[in-house]
Amino acid sequence: MRKLAGLALLLPPLLVFLGFFVGPLLYLFYVSLHASSQSELYGAGFTAANYAAILTDPFYRRILERTLATTLEILGLSLVIGYAAAFTIAGLPPRRRLFCLVLLLFPLMVSNVVRAYGWVALLGRRGVLSTALRDAGIIDRPLTILYTTDAVVIGLLTILLPYMIISIANALASIDRAYGEAAQALGAGPVRRFLHVTLPLSSPGIASGMLLVFLLTLSAYVTVTLLGGPQSKMLVSLVYDGVVAFDWPRAAALAFTLLAAALLAAAIILAALRPRRVAGRG
Amino acid sequence: MMKPGKRGRAPGAALVLPAITILAYLVIIGPIAIVVIAAFSPTEFFVFPPPGLSLRWFVEFFRLDNMRSAFALSLELALSAASLATILASMAALALVRRRGALAGVLQGLFLAPLVFPTIILGLALLLFYKTVGVGILPGLVLAHVLVGTPYCFRSVLTSLQSFDFTLEEAGQSLGAGPFRTFFLVTLPVIWPGVVSGWFFAFIVSFGELNTALFLTGPGETTLPIEIFSYLQFQGSQLVIAAASALQVGLILVLILAIERLVGLARLARS
Amino acid sequence: MDVCLAGVRKSYGAVLAVRDLDLAIARGVFFSLLGPSGCGKTTTLRLIAGFELPSAGTVRIRGRDVTAVPPYRRDFSMVFQSFALFPHLSVADNVAFGLRMRRIGRAERALRVAEALRLVKLDGFAERYPKQLSGGQQQRVALARAIIVRPAVLLLDEPLGALDKALREEMQVELRQLQRTLGITTVFVTHDQEEALTLSDEVAVMRDGVIEQRGAPRTLYERPATEFVAGFLGASNFFDASVLAPDLVAIGPVRLPLAVPAPVGAALRLAVRPEKVRLAAAGGDGLPARIREIVYRGATTQIFLDSPCGPISAYIQNASPETAAWTIGDEVACAWAPESAVVLHSTPSRHKDTEQEARAEGE
Repeated sequence: MRKLAGLALLLPPLLVFLGFFVGPLLYLFYVSLHASSQSELYGAGFTAANYAAILTDPFYRRILERTLATTLEILGLSLVIGYAAAFTIAGLPPRRRLFCLVLLLFPLMVSNVVRAYGWVALLGRRGVLSTALRDAGIIDRPLTILYTTDAVVIGLLTILLPYMIISIANALASIDRAYGEAAQALGAGPVRRFLHVTLPLSSPGIASGMLLVFLLTLSAYVTVTLLGGPQSKMLVSLVYDGVVAFDWPRAAALAFTLLAAALLAAAIILAALRPRRVAGRG
Repeated sequence: MMKPGKRGRAPGAALVLPAITILAYLVIIGPIAIVVIAAFSPTEFFVFPPPGLSLRWFVEFFRLDNMRSAFALSLELALSAASLATILASMAALALVRRRGALAGVLQGLFLAPLVFPTIILGLALLLFYKTVGVGILPGLVLAHVLVGTPYCFRSVLTSLQSFDFTLEEAGQSLGAGPFRTFFLVTLPVIWPGVVSGWFFAFIVSFGELNTALFLTGPGETTLPIEIFSYLQFQGSQLVIAAASALQVGLILVLILAIERLVGLARLARS
Repeated sequence: MDVCLAGVRKSYGAVLAVRDLDLAIARGVFFSLLGPSGCGKTTTLRLIAGFELPSAGTVRIRGRDVTAVPPYRRDFSMVFQSFALFPHLSVADNVAFGLRMRRIGRAERALRVAEALRLVKLDGFAERYPKQLSGGQQQRVALARAIIVRPAVLLLDEPLGALDKALREEMQVELRQLQRTLGITTVFVTHDQEEALTLSDEVAVMRDGVIEQRGAPRTLYERPATEFVAGFLGASNFFDASVLAPDLVAIGPVRLPLAVPAPVGAALRLAVRPEKVRLAAAGGDGLPARIREIVYRGATTQIFLDSPCGPISAYIQNASPETAAWTIGDEVACAWAPESAVVLHSTPSRHKDTEQEARAEGE
């Protein structure tokens, strides 16, 4: 009886997810293994040529490398800044900590296009910063930071930073303070206490923060486009360009390259931090 | 947790850490604040600080047909997607909350997957699928937004259910309530805060969704975020965009307050 | 019979929680299922309720076969260990819940709610919410909610377990009075032997999914059938004895009369309650023993002794304010009235046998 009721409850959401999430993804993978076609969605016969092209073509190579470098830069910066902020927030009294965390949740709810637009307004040649700095006499020519990878880094870093801060702050706040006291009782000073106790115990938060930042960086098409312009295209831009060119197999192969990069990165992050040794659930 | 109290802190950290934190908040919230300020500009182009306040760009926003219809579509989409996602997610959470084992873990992972899955790939996969099967723009968008919103509802309802005392259901049954009446008279009222906040989260996520909508909108059937994006991309930064963005921010603030009020009130009633 | 289980078995995979249980409970009886955790008592209760379905056997309530009937169509109500009060409903709405499910009109509902709340002494609490009540008050609401539907059977799943000791004793008395007044057949699950003895008309002691012994509290206490029952219900001293004559046994070096005749040459296991053990100066009749420890317990003094037949425990009533006559190291003789030594069965007997035995002994 109960089993049957459970199945009846599970079936509708499961069918939706299988039919419109898993299914289309498998179909996308299937399409990526075909040649392009002018008239159909994809050509006849299986081929791995799309993937081979992505990995060998110097144009794709350059963009892959740029994507990787930019993502790593964002990841490193967000980790350092995020950890510092999280450490400060976790040390606050509970009510103020909650307020600070809600203040971080709010930007996450605002569409990325709005947040990217904010940076366009700030960083543009006639933007707020440029004007202010020129009025102050610090620079004599307009800022040229917009439409560079630097703008992408700044934009994505600030858009994704809340994920990192919230993850780490929650992990830090859930550490039993007895551990720190035990370390102190055993003679560890503040620095060693941080390195040997706090840091390892917060690794689940670091891992989930890094995963989120990495995965969301890889698929942040709108931010990359608005802040990077045509000169700073990333892997995700190529997926979109493939769609615009109606080259479905190529777009599909690029999408799965992106996914592979994401999975690889996730595996590396998890292997390096092994969050499970501290917490049951990552 | 070991409070990073002033005594235990490495020298210098006492100044550096708060400084970094304040800076982080500035760069996170600053861009949003700038957009909202720009929306009230009385001038043709944005100058900072603005010489005054005006609502002309909001008026302009509602005068533009494409903006107005995008706003309406986004609202309709968010309402329907959030409601569908809440129903589906609640069903999934109810079915899975008391299951242990590998399969239950995989299914939970599946319903949470869109949280971290690169949504642009999902958008592409859906576009291709819709093209092959023949799904209209509107139902296609709704489905995509349901997929993106479901994990938020699922997580929220699941958390409520995990602290739900299932002997309450047995108590209901022992008093003669069948499964349906037990659910609607006992379970649902108790987990209501989780369901409500799940709905709001799904609404907000749907209202700001970009990556899947990017591929799935069509001429005349565009969501507000995509409309803002294409304006920015092809017509440059205009202040009517700031007004559109500010409307979004305003709506989210209202929703956050609503969550606080509603879930707060529900909690009050329970105590 | 209001409750009747026949050949009921419940297995979870390879684990047998309840083995081939036969149980009939007469109308109006306060019946306790007593046993350690994991003995199957709660499973038995949940089988009656229908929250668990038996792997084999039939369940009847008031003669109706309900084995395949879902809980909400069975004629019972239940008080849960956690009380399981609906947190979103007021006290009145909690109590009225069962009546609403039975589609009873508003006017009658209000009357019966008021009556039920009066019965559990909670008049004036109707508009409160469960979280605003103390543990004892929540308990009363749960009880009111269960009795208001006038069920054929009232099931109580360790309902007093969540209360502190003083409140528990108070609630025991009230529960018993209420059950007598209403005459509801009641099945009560507990691991607290004192509670079972205090409240019940009948007690069944369960172990490993089997009823070891069933009977009135006095029968169970005075005539335990097995070593397990003798040890679980109160404390006991156990002795191995061999039958010398139909009315005479040897326990170690001493000979003692036997109240119930036994075949000559048989090896018996005897149980003697500590409060039945009398101490006399060494050399007197009885088992020689040496006092190892004396513990003052207020109403009684417990004396631990070592004898050739193993350790012995004895309770001495502190009838007079003088200190006990014994000191540690004293050599004494332990004796007891012949009828105080209970012959134990090596295997659990069916409850019928015990009842017959009890009747034969004129209990």
